[in-house]
Amino acid sequence: MTEHERAFIGTGSVLVFLLVWEAVTLSRLVDPLFLSSPTLIARAGYELFAEGTIWKDLRVSGTEFVIGYLLAAGVAIPLGLAVGWYRRLYFCLSPFIDVLNAVPRVALLPIIIIWFGIGVWSKVVVVFLGAVIPMLLNTLSGVKTTEERFLKVARSFGASELKIFWSIVVPGTVPFIFTGLKYATGRALLGVVVGELYAATAGIGYLIAVAGATFQTDKVFVGILIITTTGILVVELLNRLERRFEEWRPKVGSAT
Amino acid sequence: MTRIRGFYLAGERAILGAITVGFVLCFWEGLTRGWWARLLEPALGSGAAAWRISPIFLSSPTAVALTAIRVFATGDIWSDLGVSGLEFLLGFVLAIAVGIPLGLAAGWYRRFCFAIEPFLSALNATPRVALLPLIIIWVGIGIWSKVLVVFLGAVIPICINSLAGVRTTDAKLLRVARSFKAAEGRLFRTIILPSAVPFILTGLRLGVGRAMVGVVVGELYAATAGVGFMITVAGASFQTDKVFVGVAIIALAGVLMIEALSRLERRFETWRPKVGAAT
Repeated sequence: MTEHERAFIGTGSVLVFLLVWEAVTLSRLVDPLFLSSPTLIARAGYELFAEGTIWKDLRVSGTEFVIGYLLAAGVAIPLGLAVGWYRRLYFCLSPFIDVLNAVPRVALLPIIIIWFGIGVWSKVVVVFLGAVIPMLLNTLSGVKTTEERFLKVARSFGASELKIFWSIVVPGTVPFIFTGLKYATGRALLGVVVGELYAATAGIGYLIAVAGATFQTDKVFVGILIITTTGILVVELLNRLERRFEEWRPKVGSAT
Repeated sequence: MTRIRGFYLAGERAILGAITVGFVLCFWEGLTRGWWARLLEPALGSGAAAWRISPIFLSSPTAVALTAIRVFATGDIWSDLGVSGLEFLLGFVLAIAVGIPLGLAAGWYRRFCFAIEPFLSALNATPRVALLPLIIIWVGIGIWSKVLVVFLGAVIPICINSLAGVRTTDAKLLRVARSFKAAEGRLFRTIILPSAVPFILTGLRLGVGRAMVGVVVGELYAATAGVGFMITVAGASFQTDKVFVGVAIIALAGVLMIEALSRLERRFETWRPKVGAAT
């Protein structure tokens, strides 16, 4: 019953919102140029996909996102495991991790543009910088919070450090890694959008910027919707993946 | 010898950190000054030139430090700092004023939560800076567009955390209060609100980060003043050292605020309900 109520009320409020929005624009209370309307946005979305001009932007943004994100995962997960495992390495790297964590990485854009130009690679770097930190920090804290008892048991049975690392530390870190990956999705999308708003020649963020500068408000909304949908889809995908791993993960704490 | 070793072990973290930072700064300085190029010349011949990088491209720690001193000494920076600070403050205070009551209400009234949930999730999934072009159309390129971006960035984490704070109130406390016929208003003030405080503080801390991103990106995108604007102008005119000064200022401001909020959070940590711990 409550589940139904939740769906009813949720859909209801969204519908009311959309209707009011549509009514405000239809009645010309506010210029459609400023506010657009749900139907205008739907039509603009349909046209963009029907004409096919959007595919190029989608491809460019997608490439930037995927390369930057995978690069970040490829660096952050091994590095996080290593930094979590070797205390001295952590001491050496922690100032840099802390500083990077404190800087909004998008503030580095002007420098990144000087270094890599306004093409795809500057965005890849921004995405990488945005995504690498949450992934790294979560992997790190995953290693740090390994169940003390498991380590003690393994050590008393004379397990080698390598064996302990692979069969206790790494599996225990998996949920943390997923948290990091999910969190990084938002940062990576932010990187793509801001990078393309700031300086680009193609991409969804570029589409939004150009549409905004030419007062095509409906197109701006289409771009934003595409980005939102992408974010939700990626996180959902990661959730599914995480549940698969969940099955063979040791149930920590349940067998105390 | 053992005394030196003891000293090292006691401060190992700080010592190792300082050494690596020093090493990296030294390497960076050397790249722009051509130390490594000169050092490697006998071994690599003309290939060593790759180890010399133009200061315009990379800047250097000393150049950044000198520029920082100059910028503060001449006082150019104060107006930019003032503008960015004002944008941040207005947006953040607005986000607190809206986010906390909204989150508390949504946590307390189930049906209200159902109604605003879709909007919260949608906004949460959208990088709010993507709305910048729209916001610029709506409120122009002055400080209000930045205030709005900061507000939108910070309000979501603040609201969601306040909501979670109400939701995780210890059910036993509520049951006890209800059995003793406490009024709903009293319940809210004396049980729900205090146990939500640590969550609200977490929301504020997360909100600070988002708000900083809002200020910077808003000013990078379209502005006439502010630290982000200074960074863009410096970047566009290849004053790399000035870009780094701007980035450092933003980082410092972020660290200080987050540290202050973390302290406050730890202070109120004991208020956090230990759900499930004493069942």
